[in-house]
Amino acid sequence: MKTRPKYWRSLAELEGDPEFQEYVEREFRSPTEQEELSAPGRRRFMQLMGASFALSACYPQEKLAPHAKRTDGAVPGVPRHFATVMDVAGAATGLLVKSFDGRPIKVEGNPKDPQSGGGTGPLQQAAVLGLYDPDRSRQVVQGNTPSTYKQYAAALLAAYAAAKRNAGAGFAVLSQGSSSPTLTALRDKLLAELPDAKWVAYEALDAVGTREGAKLAFGQPVTTLLSPELADVLVALDSDLLSTQLPGGVGYSRALASRRDVEAGPMSRLYAFETTVTELGSIADHRVTVRPSSVLPILSYLDAKVSAAKSEAGGQAAPAADVLGGAAVTAVLDAAVQDLLASAGKGLVTVGSHHGPEAHALAHRLNVILGNARATRVGDAPVAPPKKDEKLPTLPVSYLEPAAALTGGADELAGLVAEMEGGRVNALLILGANPAYDAPVDVDFAGALGKVKETFHLGLYRDETAALCSWHAPEAHFLESWGDARSLDGSVRIAQPLIEPLLGGKSAIEVLAQLLGMPKTDGDALVRETHGLDSEKAWRKAIHDGGLFKKAKSVVPELRGLSAVAAPQVSGLELVFEPSPSLFDGRYANNAWLQELPHPLSKLCWGNAALVSPATAREHGIKDGYLATVAVDGRSLAIPALIAPGQADGVIVVSLGYGRKSAGVVGGYTTGDAEVVGSDTYRLRTAKAPFFAAGASIATTGPRQDLAITQDLWAIDAIGKSGQKAREDILVRESTLSAYKKHPDAIEHAVHHPKLLNLWTGPVSYDGHKWGLAIDLNKCTGCGTCMVACQAENNIPVVGRHEVARGREMTWIRVERYYKGDENAATVRQQPVMCQHCENAPCEQVCPVGATMHSPEGLNDMVYNRCIGTRYCSNNCPYKVRRFNYRNYNLETIGMTPYTPTTEPKAKLKAMVFNPDVTVRGRGVMEKCTFCVQRIQGVKISAKNEKRPIKDGDIQMACEQACPSAAMVFGDLNDKKSRVAAANDVPRGYELLQELNNRPRVNYLARISNPHPDLAPAESTDAHHSAHGPAPGTKTHDVHSEH
Amino acid sequence: MKVFVFPRWTNKIRQFAGAALGGAPIYLTAFVWYGFSPKTTDVGYQPKQPVPYSHALHAGELGIDCRYCHNTVDQSSHAAIPPTETCMNCHRLVRKDSPKLLPIRESHATGTPVEWVKVHNLPDYVFFNHSAHVTRGVGCVSCHGRVDRMAEVQQQETLSMGWCLDCHRAPERHLRPPAEVTNMNWTAPGDPVAYGAQLREQGSINPPTHCSTCHR
Repeated sequence: MKTRPKYWRSLAELEGDPEFQEYVEREFRSPTEQEELSAPGRRRFMQLMGASFALSACYPQEKLAPHAKRTDGAVPGVPRHFATVMDVAGAATGLLVKSFDGRPIKVEGNPKDPQSGGGTGPLQQAAVLGLYDPDRSRQVVQGNTPSTYKQYAAALLAAYAAAKRNAGAGFAVLSQGSSSPTLTALRDKLLAELPDAKWVAYEALDAVGTREGAKLAFGQPVTTLLSPELADVLVALDSDLLSTQLPGGVGYSRALASRRDVEAGPMSRLYAFETTVTELGSIADHRVTVRPSSVLPILSYLDAKVSAAKSEAGGQAAPAADVLGGAAVTAVLDAAVQDLLASAGKGLVTVGSHHGPEAHALAHRLNVILGNARATRVGDAPVAPPKKDEKLPTLPVSYLEPAAALTGGADELAGLVAEMEGGRVNALLILGANPAYDAPVDVDFAGALGKVKETFHLGLYRDETAALCSWHAPEAHFLESWGDARSLDGSVRIAQPLIEPLLGGKSAIEVLAQLLGMPKTDGDALVRETHGLDSEKAWRKAIHDGGLFKKAKSVVPELRGLSAVAAPQVSGLELVFEPSPSLFDGRYANNAWLQELPHPLSKLCWGNAALVSPATAREHGIKDGYLATVAVDGRSLAIPALIAPGQADGVIVVSLGYGRKSAGVVGGYTTGDAEVVGSDTYRLRTAKAPFFAAGASIATTGPRQDLAITQDLWAIDAIGKSGQKAREDILVRESTLSAYKKHPDAIEHAVHHPKLLNLWTGPVSYDGHKWGLAIDLNKCTGCGTCMVACQAENNIPVVGRHEVARGREMTWIRVERYYKGDENAATVRQQPVMCQHCENAPCEQVCPVGATMHSPEGLNDMVYNRCIGTRYCSNNCPYKVRRFNYRNYNLETIGMTPYTPTTEPKAKLKAMVFNPDVTVRGRGVMEKCTFCVQRIQGVKISAKNEKRPIKDGDIQMACEQACPSAAMVFGDLNDKKSRVAAANDVPRGYELLQELNNRPRVNYLARISNPHPDLAPAESTDAHHSAHGPAPGTKTHDVHSEH
Repeated sequence: MKVFVFPRWTNKIRQFAGAALGGAPIYLTAFVWYGFSPKTTDVGYQPKQPVPYSHALHAGELGIDCRYCHNTVDQSSHAAIPPTETCMNCHRLVRKDSPKLLPIRESHATGTPVEWVKVHNLPDYVFFNHSAHVTRGVGCVSCHGRVDRMAEVQQQETLSMGWCLDCHRAPERHLRPPAEVTNMNWTAPGDPVAYGAQLREQGSINPPTHCSTCHR
């Protein structure tokens, strides 16, 4: 048997799959091989773009159109930033949006936001593309007849007035989940006017367990606010704590990452018990795969052990080891218990939001009895409010008074559908929700809609639900409207419009205010009134800062006793529905940046797949990449299957949010003849089992699918492969905290090479600035936010499913996924790779036309206008970070380039997303990460204009700024006080393929885990180091001779 | 059947063909070299503007400072064409009924921009920043010529990459005290190169010449 590598990139590679070989050979197909323009597989963006572009004259006369009246304070060409907030299903993230001459073009996190700390997620980064989506609804329609907003409002008002005569009976509103105080206040007002009316909020991914779990544990609803930065030990059970899609996730990522910094202070210890790979699991010290049905028994086990140790009454009975998942799980659990007890008051137990109330109640109980949270017990006197100057120590878990919000899930929707089917709803106003697509399969919303006399839809798109409604009006995008939201800590965020509604939409609060006949119906007046911001000064400050950062009052709830929880009885495979890491519940399906963002585990984009572990795949005869049928509860769905090491056995994981039939040209549009992307997994999801369904089965039923998976791209043939195998262990380096402390230089010495000399003197001296980047692999969760941020900043085109499948994706950063260890118990390592800006760049040496040159600041400059497309540079790049424009992607997707202007309105709308500081590249041109050179130049110019020095942190790269866990640091290596220079001096820093003498400027900080001493792996790096001690008299380890 | 016979005079073609073939490459090279050079194609470009605005009158005769209208030149990459409002500051009172100013009055009344034609047009892959040059003391005249004498603006310099680099490599000749950038009549006291070198030293002006300075 061949020795298997410690790290591996994909299963096919690990097993030497013949199809993988074929794939590798395909990379070397003829470069001129192109599909015919009329081929059905061709990128279907062409469909819409049509024949509107014709090459105009070589030198078009350019027009300059100055404002007739310039806005106060606006300087043409200088971007301005405005604070706002994005509320996704009740999860609010404070933002700072860059507006260039009136066009919002880039979203950043608001660094003043105390909750998010300035981070973002992919959804926020991609918001601008959604704003300029030409598929957004732009016309009020009654049935299929164009109408006006006036008529829509009149018809809605008539329905409202009719209902008012019966105290509101027969009138119902269906909204999305939202944390907006203004929308909530309007709901209350509507229900006060129409007491018998119904208001239902529906979110397909409603975290009912979190809400009900708090009620179960404390008898009252509370908001749980975590402080992961205070936790020395964190036990995460199937936790989505760091998911940027959930309330608080962005802030938690930053907080947790602050405790993963080896240099900054004591590291925390993370235990993750999870079904599939989560953001938290990929940075955990101990990661154990468990089935979702084992989570409750694991909590019972923890509770039993902790209660016994703390002599607490009412603990659960410890389940048997086989229920938990075997001896391997209990060994880790015992270590976790030991750690939790040892750091009582400084620990944290957290459960995924998709788990049920009992699991959450048990986690609350564990946190309370461990002293990680403040709560009274039954019989205790209520806690007196703290005295004025008394400052209670902050604990990792705090409980806050919950704020009113719009929440609801499958049960609430089922209730509404029953009313509708009973003919008790005459008029239904739908605010944004799309249950015709995302309702549970056993709740026939679409059918029930037919029983309602008049249905009014307000939404961004004329989607599945809108098509069934009697009226539809376009909604304003959040970047076009006033609004508000609440952060997880209860503090208020204000949303201000960055641009007038491009397609004439109205926001939900404006529509409701008009319906309720309020004196002021403007969004800003409504928001201002909700928060009582009468003084102009307070209002302006709130808008400027992005909100009112006053937290909700904390509460000390009373911990109730919990009856014994029974482990769920499951048979067969367990089917897990996860929100798509990029499309969320499907509402972002028409966003091409998100469609092209690979799934963190499978690296699949433009579609979803059923993920199964290797052992489960073997058991059920599942072939990787083949069409399979997943069946549960008598329903079945055809979906490609992918084998995913690192996932629990006996589990099928599917992403929701795909298979949209009426999303748009990108996400699928059956009537418009646009290919449906992925499989609609909602067809398997019932109201009773919204997140986990037991008794599922899977079987391969179809041929191999042409999937757009980015991980195996750039794979090399057999000759290169042996070299690659040898190198995989040195590409991702890691150690344990104790081993690292003992032998700090072992990381550097993972590779042995002679002293690296240069054949010639470097062309530049780097005595001015010397830019460098450090990436801390201890903090990177592999979420992909950097990829979308880079795409937004650098005008990177989307290439579509077929081109990605052929290895032609254009993203300048890729997040490499490495598996570690045995395929049946693999863990995942994520590593972002972009241009390494080598000082000794191999690409520069082979370019025949000098299109890639070295700058005196150490940037590997790419000169697009010189490039003639030989692709020698890409061939010579050991990191495979260069991207070639095989097609004129921007012409095809946007419909225009600077040389082919168009008057087509859809194309012009799309083109508004471009960053004017970055060249839009054309066909036949090579491109790659520039270290955001436009940002460097921008800061350099303004600093010199103002005669001030550039401070560390003034220049932020797009990826660095977006990263929710602050894993990247960019700066000047010549500035000895800069953070990046400090990171460069850390012994765990290493450069990719440094033995090639490329001298890259990207410094990776090796992953240092902090395992429990009893479970720590044998210190292999240590042994490796001592076995290769330097030979006497020679200096073979002179790795950093140039530093 | 009648056979076609070339007339006798065609024999002479052979004698000239050699010379023509030999001369063609030279001619073509010269044609491309001069014919496609920005000197031929761009210098002197003088498009017709929607309003016959005369810089000679406003900047020259009336002596209005460039920055009265192009007021963002030291803050932004664009010098910015002024908003219609700037025109109306004066033309509310001055020549308020002139038919030539009709587009301006219309724009002011309706809020629709006046569409001026861009004269100094760089390729889209070039990122030029006015503020970086003006605050360092590169005069307007260095690149735009004597705008104060132009009734209708025309391009004076080639704006080619070689022309940019000439100055970036040796900026001394084009440096002046930043307060004098808009003064079209300014001359250096003494030797302009020595004076420029002194200013360069004072302002630590080191124009970069690497690619990403302008190409991003």
